[in-house]
Amino acid sequence: MKKTENSYDLKKITSKYRPIVTYKVKKSIGSHTPEWEDIVNEIMLNTIEKVKSGEFKGQSSIGTFIYTITRRRIIDHIRRKKKKIKKHIPESDPFPDPYVQIENKERAEMLAKKLEELKPKYKKVLYLYYYKGLARKEVAQKLGISPRRVSERVHYAQKLLRKIINK
Amino acid sequence: MEECRHEDLIDDYLFNRLNHEKKQEFEEHLFNCPHCFEQVQQKTELISVIKDHADSIFKDMRITEKTKNPVQQKIIGFLSPKPLISAAVTAALVLIVVFGILPHKANKTQEFILNNDTVRGSSITLISKAVPSEFRWEAIGKDVEYKVSVYNDELIWEKSTTKNSISLPDEIKSRMTPGKSYFWQVKAFSPQGRLITESSKVQFTWQKKDHP
Repeated sequence: MKKTENSYDLKKITSKYRPIVTYKVKKSIGSHTPEWEDIVNEIMLNTIEKVKSGEFKGQSSIGTFIYTITRRRIIDHIRRKKKKIKKHIPESDPFPDPYVQIENKERAEMLAKKLEELKPKYKKVLYLYYYKGLARKEVAQKLGISPRRVSERVHYAQKLLRKIINK
Repeated sequence: MEECRHEDLIDDYLFNRLNHEKKQEFEEHLFNCPHCFEQVQQKTELISVIKDHADSIFKDMRITEKTKNPVQQKIIGFLSPKPLISAAVTAALVLIVVFGILPHKANKTQEFILNNDTVRGSSITLISKAVPSEFRWEAIGKDVEYKVSVYNDELIWEKSTTKNSISLPDEIKSRMTPGKSYFWQVKAFSPQGRLITESSKVQFTWQKKDHP
């Protein structure tokens, strides 16, 4: 990143990295925590300031640079919070996050329908791997197939989702 | 589809199966690799749909888990009426600690309903409260999956079990600093994967023993 004085580059940085920063902040402090949005804003502002002031010299990639800022800010948040309520520290949410509504309900319904129609051999893999959260190897063992097969069948389900997204 | 050598790690990351360093490394990668981040988002959506629609997706499947061993079943059978009462009592105490988190009906909840909605209303009673080599808690019913989490500043270990106790793997123990404070917590999930209830977070200090 050379002379990034012009607002175009900064805007680009913001729009490119905001989603991943948001993702990480929510995952770390929980999206039910109302502060998450402020924290994301702070991180983005901080990034822009540092790029503007030349503190970011391109020693690392801009992604890594923003990741470092994000991590520090989250640790800071957790420390502060811990001082306030010692017994109840923030934590990562159960996965998948029950507080987040899937933005596109229609899309979710469509995908569910497609998954319902899958052959049992796919469903079994999805059930053990994603629903029960077993490791790939364990799933392979239980079903007597190779780990590679497990991945293939999982990928197939993801492909269904991509098809719906790209429609 | 463009492949990335980090792609294999995505599921481990999502299910919290990476150790601290690996997790950090992977997150740094996510900040640098739009492709992997997109995968993470897609997989998250896929998993959410699977969990939310599990009843209909897996309805025609025989998902009979292996029956629990008889001893365990006995323990659960023995414990199940009691914890409900003691849970109600301890819930009052827990409310003071986790004020605002649990709704007031906590004191009256006598049954755990395993439906599709998150039922917050009772708490799990943690039994080993200090320096545990084994974590133990009161079982709240049949077919409940418990997720045990250990934290310091961040989550350092998480494991699911259908039993009501668990011990820390040596690998995790070796990464914990003697004298430092940690927290542990248990969450209970219905067979549909929904959060039923959670315990309060209990602080403990790690003490190393030479001969466990």
